Amino acid sequence: MEVVRVEDLGKTYPGGTKALEGVSFSIDKGQIFCLLGRNGAGKTTLLRILATQLKPTAGRAFVLGHDVLQDPKAIRPHIAVVPQEARPQMLLSPYDHILYFCMIRGQSRGTARERTRKVMDDLGLWEHRDKLASDLSGGLRQRLIIAMALVADPEVLFLDEPTIGLDPLGRRSVWHMLRELTRKGATILLTTHYLDEAEMLADDLLIVDKGRTAFHGTVEEAKGDTGVGMRVIVEHPAGNGTGPPEVLEPRSAEEILAIVERGLREKRKVTFKPASLEEAFIKIVGGSIEVEDT
Amino acid sequence: MLLVVISLFSFLPVIFIFVFATAPGAAVQSLVGAIILTFAFTGLFASQSVYFNKQWFRFQDMLVASRVSPASYAVGLSVSGLVVALPGVLVALVLVLLSAPVPAIGVLVALATALLLWIGLVFVGFAIGATTKNARRANSIPQVLSIALGFLPPVYYPLSTLDRYPVAQAFAMLIPTTHAAQLAKYYFGLIDIPVWQVALGWAYLLGFTALMGLIASRRAHWVDP
Repeated sequence: MEVVRVEDLGKTYPGGTKALEGVSFSIDKGQIFCLLGRNGAGKTTLLRILATQLKPTAGRAFVLGHDVLQDPKAIRPHIAVVPQEARPQMLLSPYDHILYFCMIRGQSRGTARERTRKVMDDLGLWEHRDKLASDLSGGLRQRLIIAMALVADPEVLFLDEPTIGLDPLGRRSVWHMLRELTRKGATILLTTHYLDEAEMLADDLLIVDKGRTAFHGTVEEAKGDTGVGMRVIVEHPAGNGTGPPEVLEPRSAEEILAIVERGLREKRKVTFKPASLEEAFIKIVGGSIEVEDT
Repeated sequence: MLLVVISLFSFLPVIFIFVFATAPGAAVQSLVGAIILTFAFTGLFASQSVYFNKQWFRFQDMLVASRVSPASYAVGLSVSGLVVALPGVLVALVLVLLSAPVPAIGVLVALATALLLWIGLVFVGFAIGATTKNARRANSIPQVLSIALGFLPPVYYPLSTLDRYPVAQAFAMLIPTTHAAQLAKYYFGLIDIPVWQVALGWAYLLGFTALMGLIASRRAHWVDP
């Protein structure tokens, strides 16, 4: 079932800056859709249009079957957003933040209390419930903002760089929670600069560059389409022989076997390095980096 | 709760005037001025809440993507400031009524002028907060305006003080807080002004509120253009 559909979407800001042009894609129910791109590529613009916070100037976009421009009120009760660089109110406790957001979402005080407890437990915030937000670490503040979005139990969740500032364990707890949400049927659109995060989470991937679609497909397709394959590093073991390591990119099983046989024969160390999304990403947007630098 | 207690203490300077002022009626007029300015400043300083909730905390974005309507957001944001200030207003009101007993209708109409001024300045606050692009300006613009709207014009002191300076008096008549203070003092029975000045005061405040409402509706957006 299609939850988000974007058709030839464009956005030119009142000042004349063109942020998006001709972007089209769709997201199915239960998917995590990752939006990648360099700073200023148009990711946040796209996310804000879909979250009904910003008007598009061209094309159409639908969330849960409703047009974001014509019928935003039908969309809003079913979505939640974690905006980029959102901050909690410093003189309010995490508990109060989450409780108030539950009530803003229309929950009764009793339900709101239960929901607050559940979300705080899930995100490891309960032990910090009575501290002032100003006394929380950056990572805990970010977790609090995520918790405020999750209280709504949204059908579609829009997250703009949600794990920025989180430590590795904090990021993993957010990943786990996002996966749990999708298992329950939620659909997630996520922007991130952490490519390992996209690699770990993305069911589908859109790379935007200068407001245009640079790539759309799965992580594996991104690696395949850009020719970024497995790398094999053949080197002399420590204290045995000299010379720089060879970095090889085998294209077939026969080539891999041949490299392994040579390594055994020459008593060399052979290391397999799987292709990363980061390499594919750099290949996809790299051209424009070079153009900008010249 | 702490903020409510602080708001009570914020009236201390006016209470000192009330105790130590020698000119008859001056202290009571300054109390009425304080009531008017409390309404004016809570309206004007909505600009900071508008700016910080949108640009700093990003709560507006979170609330747009929910069932909250722009009207309830605007009302909640502006009324919250007023609620915190109301205990102080109540203290001032009690002191005024102890000094100069006024019929209930007079009190209600006087408070209505303060409320109309508050609505007009809430619109000003929304227009400023929505167009301000950085935190420094969001903090400083209402501070500067509060001097022009509150401390310079004849709000704490009587308009008649400016009789010897007709140019200053003419300028004062361009400022909405002057009209609101004149009307409130009139309805509290502290000054006597001709009927045409009462009508002018109401017309000015209504026109100001309507104009600021128009500007705010053009500047402040729930969904960004």
